[in-house]
Amino acid sequence: MSGGHDYPHESTGVETRKLGMWVFLSTEILFFGTLITTFMIFKGRDFPGIKLTDVYDIPFTSVSSFVLLMSSLTMVLAHNALENDDQEKTRVWLLATAMLGAVFLAGQIYEFTEFYHKGFELSTNIFSSTFYVLTGFHGLHVFIGVVFLIGLWAIGQRQKGLSLDSGFNLEFIALYWHFVDIVWIVLFTVVYLI
Amino acid sequence: MDSSIYSGVFNLMSDNHKEHPTPKKYVQIALFLGVLTAIEVALYYTEDIVGVFTDPLLIFLAVGKYVIVVGWFMHLRFENKMVNRFFAGGMILALILFAIVMIERAAGNFFN
Amino acid sequence: MTKIIEPDKQTNIFRRPSSEYGFWSWITTVDHKKIGIMYGYAAFFFLLIGGLEALVLRIQLAQPDNNFLSAAEYNAMFTMHGTTMVFLAIMPISAAFFNYLLPLQIGARDVAFPRLNALSFWIWVFGGLFLYSTFVFGTAGAPEGGYLAEEVGWLGNAPNGGWFGYQPNAGFKYSPGTAMDYWAIGLQILGISSLVSAFNFIVTILNMRTQGMRLMRMPVFTWMTFAVAFLLAFSLPIIAIALFYVTFDRQFGTTFFLTEGGGDPVLWQHLFWLFGHPEVYILILPAFGIVSEILPTFSRKPLFGYPAIVFAGFGIAFIGFGVWAHHMFASAISPVAQAGFGISTMIIAVPTGVKIFNWLGTIWGGKLNLKTPMLFALGFIGMFVIGGLSGVTHSIVPADTQQTDTYYIVAHFHYVLFGGAMFGIFGGLYYWFPKVWGKMYNETLGQIHFWTMMIGFNLTFGPMHWLGLQGQVRRTWVYAEETNLGFWNLIVSIGAFIIALSILIFMANWIYSKRKGETAPFDPWDARTIEWTIPSPTPVWNFSKAPEVKALDDFWHAKYDEDEEGRAVRRDTADDLLIELEEEGLNPKEEIVLPNPSYFPFILASGLPFLGYAVIYKTIALALIGVTLLLIGSFGWATEPLEEEFKTKEEEE
Repeated sequence: MSGGHDYPHESTGVETRKLGMWVFLSTEILFFGTLITTFMIFKGRDFPGIKLTDVYDIPFTSVSSFVLLMSSLTMVLAHNALENDDQEKTRVWLLATAMLGAVFLAGQIYEFTEFYHKGFELSTNIFSSTFYVLTGFHGLHVFIGVVFLIGLWAIGQRQKGLSLDSGFNLEFIALYWHFVDIVWIVLFTVVYLI
Repeated sequence: MDSSIYSGVFNLMSDNHKEHPTPKKYVQIALFLGVLTAIEVALYYTEDIVGVFTDPLLIFLAVGKYVIVVGWFMHLRFENKMVNRFFAGGMILALILFAIVMIERAAGNFFN
Repeated sequence: MTKIIEPDKQTNIFRRPSSEYGFWSWITTVDHKKIGIMYGYAAFFFLLIGGLEALVLRIQLAQPDNNFLSAAEYNAMFTMHGTTMVFLAIMPISAAFFNYLLPLQIGARDVAFPRLNALSFWIWVFGGLFLYSTFVFGTAGAPEGGYLAEEVGWLGNAPNGGWFGYQPNAGFKYSPGTAMDYWAIGLQILGISSLVSAFNFIVTILNMRTQGMRLMRMPVFTWMTFAVAFLLAFSLPIIAIALFYVTFDRQFGTTFFLTEGGGDPVLWQHLFWLFGHPEVYILILPAFGIVSEILPTFSRKPLFGYPAIVFAGFGIAFIGFGVWAHHMFASAISPVAQAGFGISTMIIAVPTGVKIFNWLGTIWGGKLNLKTPMLFALGFIGMFVIGGLSGVTHSIVPADTQQTDTYYIVAHFHYVLFGGAMFGIFGGLYYWFPKVWGKMYNETLGQIHFWTMMIGFNLTFGPMHWLGLQGQVRRTWVYAEETNLGFWNLIVSIGAFIIALSILIFMANWIYSKRKGETAPFDPWDARTIEWTIPSPTPVWNFSKAPEVKALDDFWHAKYDEDEEGRAVRRDTADDLLIELEEEGLNPKEEIVLPNPSYFPFILASGLPFLGYAVIYKTIALALIGVTLLLIGSFGWATEPLEEEFKTKEEEE
């Protein structure tokens, strides 16, 4: 960061961009918290119409959840590889993470299409609306994450490789990705299982 | 006004990164998470047997997975306390606020 | 001779902007000072528009049974007045102060993420323009069989559901036109701007402080900036979701807030006020900070109880998250909820009171210098206390059910927002005028402004207290002759025009002083904080070298020592110090690397209104343009390093 050589960086000792990403993720907690709360408020209500429990497929979603969980592993392995300056491995694990994310998204799209065919659409009733908006925003976040991951991979191919010092940085994309995973951990339980 | 009680509240000591877990450790953690997920799914199917404990257990497992990913994969455990507090603060705030809203809306249904 | 590193190479499709002056330098700037100035002027422009909206309302209400405005137009005017004043006037004026002052007060060169800072500004500008484009493109729409089915004139084709957009009134069934979509989407865009600012400031305060600037040595204004950022960061996501729900209900057939689909209108109220209450603390805390800077300087005494003021500020912010349903006492929430929120609302008066007593303690025994900033700070204390007292009366639930929806409430919040926030802001504008422009404002005009505003303000909002208690209802376009409310309403309207006059005086002072004001020394007020140690106007690099701070009010201690009775005694070295600071400030010895200007924040921000229009008019083409701009903006930004390795270009200063 600017300021010449006489300026102390990082009065807290935490790298500035990392701190920024953690602050951003804290705000995302409120964002998803609102979505989840709304879902839960309406979940138990006595209102006629098709419900999620009428259409879902737990085994399928479980596999999806497992896929996303494993993408967190590949993400952390990518980060680890970069710290050991193994550019090749970093790119491999990055791509793996992006692909697992894409598989998850494909699973979501398949699932939603099935639900639509069974009459569970966005505007069908309050149960469907809250479901789609909640999982939809999560899916959007996964999509953005996949775009970032592929972007990182592409940058890694192009230049002399990735570096932990660059602006568009693997470390904080990793944090974002893990966050997307933990939101799903909560979602899977709250939406599907409970 | 720089007495130590304040530096206790705002911990600015730069905790340098402790040792990173090894890839092997990460894989172990991931497998453990997989096992927890399997238990969650199993609980869904055995609801009749487990009965009233199902929901609390599911929540407990979800919280466990959450803490593990945040703590180890996101490294929060090894991070500066300031960051920890910020994230935890956001979580606690969200939990309290949304608990109040949910209770109010549920109670509202009784009083109206 | 200053060495400023200038971008020389082309690393992208377009050359990096390199101008320091002229139109493009403003579009591409990432300098917090320029951004602050742009926020200030743009916000002031919207303040005038919001003021005109208020005047139009007051003309309508000056007489009973008036028909200057139709009901539809009245609804649009009060909605736009509130929305404009909150989101387009006070918040961005506060942002102007945060942007300009924060790095200076902590001794930094700029904020943590300069391009993100520029992005916040441009998103805000586009959001404001988008919201106001309702007057050009929007339609109020009348529900079938509704009494608003008459032709709605130009003035009425604007959001008309109140600044709080209660559902389902502001939903598609009762507000079928596009106006409320402009409101929901406009607010969504504006929210993104503030959210981005918030985490920029949080990271800046935590990480960019200069040597020795420990948290408990920061000026109170910086602390209040921190509290505001925290409030913004945690409350904006909630309204973002709520606004998505509104847009989905209006556009995509969902029923989040519609009972016929299983939805819950009260949920909107919860979500809105979960944001809305912290929002009002966001509006007032900057003024608290400004006043905490002005009072010690003009009383020539340290701030009384600095830690208490800091902790009280955070106490207010934190408890502020726990009082939201006091806006819902009359909305069919359970008695338990009412009691709980009534209590928490009473509790929040405590830290507020702590601050007031500390401010009084600061003034007590001081040698008061009654210049314009001080007058506004003192006025602030008086007016804010009045507003706060009426606020406490609202916390008593049964009493509130009488007061709610009457002018008594209008009186309360105008006393705290105008008498509080705006007075504080005016004080700050005068206080830092010399630092920003290098000239002194005209003191006589300043005094006239203050007194005219004080009289006008009290004439306008004072009578609203008893008008409300006598039963005049809010948000209603007309009142009947038989209510006997006409006399005081006329006084109120006259007061409003006196306020308008005082604003004109302020503007005249501003324009005159910028042109013909006396050159200001860099420390005209003999102040305490480090932003006064640098030249006026502030050089683009802020500090020539990173200041080293050894105590709270470091600058004061450098100039003054204390005798046995604790009184300030000017040091012999003080004058030499000032000369030294001036010389050093204008002639930095080392190479200074400043963040480079960039087009991409502007480009990225420009994509958002397209997405907004795309949602309203269901046009894919517009959405594609919007997404393309977002992508170009994002990828350009991501591949453009903030500071680059360039050949040094030496510039004569």
